[in-house]
Amino acid sequence: MMETLLPGRRLSFQERKAAEKKRKEAAAKKKRDQEARRKREAEAKKRAAEARKKREAEAKKRAAEAKRKADEAKKRREAEAKKRAEEAKRRREEDARRKQAAEEKRRREEEEASKPKPTPKPTETTKPTPVPTASATPTPTETPKPEPTETIDPEPIETSEPDPTETSEPTPTETAQPEPEPEPPVVEEEARHIFDSQVDFSSNQNEQDRPVTEYRMTPNISYQLDFYGTDLRFDDGAEVEMWSFETDDQRKCFPGPLVRPKEGQIFHANFSPSKGNHTIHWHGMEPDPRNDGVGHTSFEIAGDYTYQWQPEKGRPGVADYGTAGTYFYHCHVNTTLHVQMGMFGPLIIDPIEHEDFPVTPGARRAFVDGPEYDIDTEALLIPYSLDTRWHGMNHAAGLSGEDAGLNHFQPKHFYALGGELARRPSGKEKVWSMKSLRANVYKKGDTRKPTLLRLLNANYLPTMLRFQDKYGNPVAMAEVIAHDGRPYRDTHEKDGVSLPCREAGYPMMTSILASGSAERYDLLLFPPAAGEYQVVLDFKDWISDEVIGQRVIPLTAS
Amino acid sequence: MGEFENKGQQNDDGGALLGEDAPVSRWSFVKYGAAAGLGALALAGAQPAHARTTTPTEEAEAPEPTDLATGAATGVAIDEAEDVEPTDEASDEAEDLEPTDEATDEAEAPDAELLESGREVLDVYINEGYLKMVDDSLVYFRGFGDRPTEKNDANPSLTIKPKVFLKDDTWVDSRVYPVGAPEPPRGTPTPLAPDPHNPGQYYVRRAHWGSFMPERVIVAETGSKITLRVHNRLAKEHEFAIHKAGDGGKDVSTGKIAPGKYGMLELKAPDPGVYIYSDPGNQPVERTLGLCGALVVMDPSDAWCLSPGAAEFERQWVWLCHAVDPVWANIEAKGGTVDPVRQKAVPRYFTLNGRSGYESMGMTRNEALNRASDEETTISGYPRQFDAREFAEGSAIGSLRGGQLVRIVNCGIVFHQMHFHGNHLWTVRCDNEDWGRTEGHVDENGYVCIQQWEDVIKVRGMEIKEAIIPIKRPPDAVDQVWDNRKTDWAYPMHCHSESSQTAAGGMYPGGLTSHWIIKAPLEGATS
Ligand SMILES: [Cu+2]
Ligand SMILES: [Cu+2]
Repeated sequence: MMETLLPGRRLSFQERKAAEKKRKEAAAKKKRDQEARRKREAEAKKRAAEARKKREAEAKKRAAEAKRKADEAKKRREAEAKKRAEEAKRRREEDARRKQAAEEKRRREEEEASKPKPTPKPTETTKPTPVPTASATPTPTETPKPEPTETIDPEPIETSEPDPTETSEPTPTETAQPEPEPEPPVVEEEARHIFDSQVDFSSNQNEQDRPVTEYRMTPNISYQLDFYGTDLRFDDGAEVEMWSFETDDQRKCFPGPLVRPKEGQIFHANFSPSKGNHTIHWHGMEPDPRNDGVGHTSFEIAGDYTYQWQPEKGRPGVADYGTAGTYFYHCHVNTTLHVQMGMFGPLIIDPIEHEDFPVTPGARRAFVDGPEYDIDTEALLIPYSLDTRWHGMNHAAGLSGEDAGLNHFQPKHFYALGGELARRPSGKEKVWSMKSLRANVYKKGDTRKPTLLRLLNANYLPTMLRFQDKYGNPVAMAEVIAHDGRPYRDTHEKDGVSLPCREAGYPMMTSILASGSAERYDLLLFPPAAGEYQVVLDFKDWISDEVIGQRVIPLTAS
Repeated sequence: MGEFENKGQQNDDGGALLGEDAPVSRWSFVKYGAAAGLGALALAGAQPAHARTTTPTEEAEAPEPTDLATGAATGVAIDEAEDVEPTDEASDEAEDLEPTDEATDEAEAPDAELLESGREVLDVYINEGYLKMVDDSLVYFRGFGDRPTEKNDANPSLTIKPKVFLKDDTWVDSRVYPVGAPEPPRGTPTPLAPDPHNPGQYYVRRAHWGSFMPERVIVAETGSKITLRVHNRLAKEHEFAIHKAGDGGKDVSTGKIAPGKYGMLELKAPDPGVYIYSDPGNQPVERTLGLCGALVVMDPSDAWCLSPGAAEFERQWVWLCHAVDPVWANIEAKGGTVDPVRQKAVPRYFTLNGRSGYESMGMTRNEALNRASDEETTISGYPRQFDAREFAEGSAIGSLRGGQLVRIVNCGIVFHQMHFHGNHLWTVRCDNEDWGRTEGHVDENGYVCIQQWEDVIKVRGMEIKEAIIPIKRPPDAVDQVWDNRKTDWAYPMHCHSESSQTAAGGMYPGGLTSHWIIKAPLEGATS
């Protein structure tokens, strides 16, 4: 077992819980009993009433319904006459508006199409992108997040504020300029709009040039992301037109740059799509709709927008709080096409540090009370497949109702993207491909921690991940510790602590793991001995479940 | 409706016009995706009902080969329906027949046979007909209906409108379960009171609100006997099977029913849970053509729990997923038989409770259709403090710390990845097997079996997953934004196997998707 289990450390934490727990159990039991009695009585009464009601209701309902229908038909006829007149007027106006919008869109697209394919991005002159200055920006302007007064939750001691020393990250820009705050609140969009047809809906998403970031705060970490399109060469030799995201220090690489904030930080990402409408959806992050990056629940961005959110802090032993884990971000405009074109990148949330769970140098925790892992060998594996017929289409393909064939994904190229996070190759126009993996052989008490493998499924198809020895025999070396950015915990103690599964006594070890599009899993690797192993990715058909593609990645345990 | 309809028929002004009118008439039609009075006209030979549209400046494209499916299917129907006149009268008539509003369960007076059945036997009719997809094209379907209809019927009965088999072995029409429970206004359960400990949040009512069921759902209370008389009105053999509902998890079936005959199916309601019913013939072709639905079994003594002692919920949502292949449909419509091995399925429409895209999101000009989506599909509720450990326990008498139950039932053939924005879901069940809160493991299929948070829930064809949506404050919104919210917050739910987000090869987001909504603070209810 790991250091996290050393009795000295854990006892203080556990003891506090135990006392708390006893008290609550008594209270909860009493409450349950009362509740159960009340429910039984109500239920009995209700059953009796219901039987009677049932018979009467059927007859009554029919009569009422007939009358209602008659009344309604009359009302409707009258209303309809009026509506028709209004409708006709509205339509004329809308048609004019749509015609104009279509014209504009077409012009934009033509411009775009007329550009040569591998578009070298014009040198950015105007964007004052601050260079990654390590100038620590302690930002006490941020109002501390008042935790909801949870009556029955254990109240962990919060380590104060996120530490702003971002040492290991290559990309984030720690801006030093405090921004004016808060901005005047903007009237929020109506949650629902109405459309004439699916085409009307698809082709008329709410486009805004420069939407305002509401209640903008001074960020603890910020990124500047831009759109690019270019031809990229994959490790099987395929040369394909790709679109994705880029930052100043990672130009035209695929997938997009790693975004890696820490729980509790105010996160900003300014995005200027520059060509065509795009958004960024922070998949698995759960901010308000304006910062969720979906056109039909907020807006698509034509000019630029600064996304703002704050990943929730974890609490040891609590299943309802915390965001540390593996995510991704992607465009949510014409998503079927844009994500396949490559518009995604990895997003990792690191946990806050809790005094009961200190961290060994060279290691990090997967979540607040989660296991430590070795930073040096931490790896990201991204299954992805390519249907080249989809590459070369227009941004808005299919949106006007034309059959773009986007219902039929037929990939012929299958990839294992990613690699060790500390060793992503630098340089321009690179596809980050996983050639091999390393995993530490770990024995209890080792200062070198086990290897964490983060799985991010960016494929549109079901995928099976398998671990085997060099002869093809399955090896249950992977412990599944988290999924979709949430740890697996034992939650059977109604009023107690929810321990991570390993500490509850059942590490979930496996040699196989099923995942589908957009799922993420965090796997701690425990190879049984030094030597050569294989990690296999089976890509399957979404109807027949047949394996249609495969990747085998050699894994060396030492 | 003259103006729009005529133009719609001539197809000279695109789907905008069709769109206006079609939904009104669509509603009472068994809402697969949609069917319409217009459908009847189109069938009668007016025009191929293919709305290709958008900007009026854009030229309508000639249908591509892949479009032949619907076009040809329409053609077949033309022959059979020659005597139906494509006149305005016809459409007006069709329209008048229809209730415009909520009256799904009362759309037609039951025919004599139904009344005489004593409501102990539920008559099910295997019918065929044409339904309108979200892009207004017509696709041939077969379905289990609750009244006999003909192939060229403008309003074919291809789904069973929600029924409930009660403990006394009789059945009633009811969109709401428990029968007689209060209907949540527009599907949204209103809360008990503000939560004094958590400003902006609410105590939600326990064991109070009814849940709207979508079409194709039969509810049965434990202890009831379910008796179905299934009439095969088609030219080939068919069958009605409830999967895994029998002893030892075996299927219960009528057996093959010859054309023109009927078959009986009788069973004691199985354990609480969800059971897909379908015609298992020529797997998976008949099911894909529409012969499917779900039996939901509830314990009436614990009608707000998955089963006694299991997860409690504020209300439940049954989501039936389906994928539509018009090429397959067309082959069968012409009397052929699809060979699913040689003729690989290429689904072109993806539905949730029979609706796709903006219809499923309730964003059409048809208020009745929007309302049905809201009541049956669009999860909505007031934010509450959620506790994953034991959400059945109220923090105040009569209230609940839990969320709402989402039962994701994949009657279709493609592997779905149901992604929720805004909240992770707490998954509790897979194929009626409860996942535990302890002693989790990874099974032989590579599934992690333990109650867990997920933002993507995978469901393969014929699989059922059940999860609790907490409806809590989106955890990563900054405080000031949350504290100052004044409107509903709507989030998308969609399948992340992104091909399913299309209709007819494009029109994103036109496939298997919906919204879900965190309601705005109630006026005067601040704490
Ligand atoms: Cu996503
Ligand atoms: Cu999404």
